[in-house]
Amino acid sequence: MSKPYTLNELLIIAIAKEIHDHENVVLGVGIPMTSGALAKALFAPHSNLIMESGIIDFKPTVPMNHVADCMSCRGFSYSTDLFSTFTMTYRGFVDVCFLGVAQVDKYGNLNTTVIGDYENPTIRLPGSGGAADFISYAKRTILTMRSGEFVEKLSYVTSPGYLDGGDSREKSGHFTPGSGPTKLISTQGIFEFDPETKEMFLSQLHPGVTVEAVKKKIPWDLKVSPDLKQTERPKDEEIDFIRNNFPTESVGKNLMWEIATASFLKRLNAAKPTIEK
Amino acid sequence: MVENGDKQMSAQDAVAANVRDGDMLIMGNYTIGIAFGLVYEIVRQRKKGLTFCSQSGCIGDELLMAAGCIDRLITTFVLNAGTVGGNFPIERALKQGKLQIEDYTNFQYNARLVAGMHGYSFMPVLEGILHSDIFTKRGFMGDDKFRVITCPFTGKDTVLVPALNPDVCIIHVQRADKYGNAQYWGAMGSVQAAALASKRIIVSCEEIVEHDVIISSPHFTIIPAYRVNAVVEMPWGAHPSEVVGYYNVDKVGQGTLGAGLLTEEGGKAWLDEWIYGCPDHNAYMNHYIGLFGSGMLNSIKARAYYSAPANYGSAFSTVWDEQKRERTMGVTLEELEQIMKEKGVLYE
Repeated sequence: MSKPYTLNELLIIAIAKEIHDHENVVLGVGIPMTSGALAKALFAPHSNLIMESGIIDFKPTVPMNHVADCMSCRGFSYSTDLFSTFTMTYRGFVDVCFLGVAQVDKYGNLNTTVIGDYENPTIRLPGSGGAADFISYAKRTILTMRSGEFVEKLSYVTSPGYLDGGDSREKSGHFTPGSGPTKLISTQGIFEFDPETKEMFLSQLHPGVTVEAVKKKIPWDLKVSPDLKQTERPKDEEIDFIRNNFPTESVGKNLMWEIATASFLKRLNAAKPTIEK
Repeated sequence: MVENGDKQMSAQDAVAANVRDGDMLIMGNYTIGIAFGLVYEIVRQRKKGLTFCSQSGCIGDELLMAAGCIDRLITTFVLNAGTVGGNFPIERALKQGKLQIEDYTNFQYNARLVAGMHGYSFMPVLEGILHSDIFTKRGFMGDDKFRVITCPFTGKDTVLVPALNPDVCIIHVQRADKYGNAQYWGAMGSVQAAALASKRIIVSCEEIVEHDVIISSPHFTIIPAYRVNAVVEMPWGAHPSEVVGYYNVDKVGQGTLGAGLLTEEGGKAWLDEWIYGCPDHNAYMNHYIGLFGSGMLNSIKARAYYSAPANYGSAFSTVWDEQKRERTMGVTLEELEQIMKEKGVLYE
């Protein structure tokens, strides 16, 4: 049996396996960025990692702070602007993109803008960034979910998935044919979309998770694949790569801040006597 | 501007001359290397009623909000919204109805600037947006947020955004000459479009360099001198954010600002201590060093990783060869003048 892993590590590894060799890959910051680095190191050495700020063909050496963080890699092959990164997506040159989920419905439509009323928000979220345009034109979109929620109806549709399901996305003629969310990867399992109805169903469970536990978080009657797969337990090699290179991603934001604050205060206290002298 | 084209001045003079109450202001930098020093100066001069355009929603935006400089926001991403209990200034202001907002995607925002920089009145954007509330929900721009036409060539639905031409752009770059030729490298984002679309441009830079440095590396120049209104030499001008080739993010500085902005009182105290209490950026950096020492700043200084030099050279830079003969006609100047005389092409 391999060594114990964190849920973040499990998610990072599952996402990395969606990157295939020689693909053009658009990455968001955080978990997908780490997945990109892992994929490039272990599964897809010729993948072309892209950030929407116009950083093309890079390899992160330390965790990246944001989508324009070209200080976290040593060089990159092509420097272009944001406008061109999207027009290359529109023209069909992006194979796969990864988008984080705040709210998602059964047809893979996403809300990352607001909870409650747009004019009078209960919670304001960051907004679209690049998401709405990437999901419209990348050949595949993988949704990643660390702390988001499944809802019956979105407060606000930021990024269009399969709209009302069925052939509604295809019929509109406004999207790259065959594009749309292909998978949603959460800390519990992997979901896919029915080829006819475009409704999300559970296709794979992560180790130690039950179907009941997954259903608890989903407000509609979730369909489950008749041949439900099991996610492989992370391998030592995969865990080691993440923990050695991106340890803050292994523990996640909350625990990272807890540890960082504690050790900052400890160092500050240790320095005090010297300062007072 | 003085007659010799030297546009160097202090941040105080640059902001006083170019940012007016009620202006539409745009942050030139996208996510990386934010023009914090110029933001601080705008706050220090207590500018009011600004419409602010910012794509990356960095904490500088939150600061302008906390200081009461902005009434309206055109954005694609409010970085700190939805975090730590929804307590950052922009989210607080939205909940209290004190801020008007217009949401676009990153591409649409950049498209508005591309139209603006090239002098067009609109730019087509990607039509998938028809199925998003970004299209259906209109803020202060109303019907003019988007328009839809039928493409005269393909007959397809074509979604348009109007050109954006802000009154003034603030931008921090690595280096510039005193005339305003501004050199920037790293993540290009919408940086150049934001600057060139604007009516006035204030450039702050880590260092002023000789004009010779600029002309031997013109591919790094993203804003030409003739478009620039003011150049401010401001080392650490992006602190607490980063500048490629100069320094990384200062997480202690960022944390201090972030923690301050979480409450209205905290924000006021932060502004009093770090902005109103410091007459300029230099004083702000000295205040930082006084509190935290220089260890942090030393630890985030960039190590060199130079771009390979590009050879802009050519075989010669005069038409006269080593024998003083013109390279195309093969004659000396003296011989040429003799021939011109003989051929009757010279006039008295």
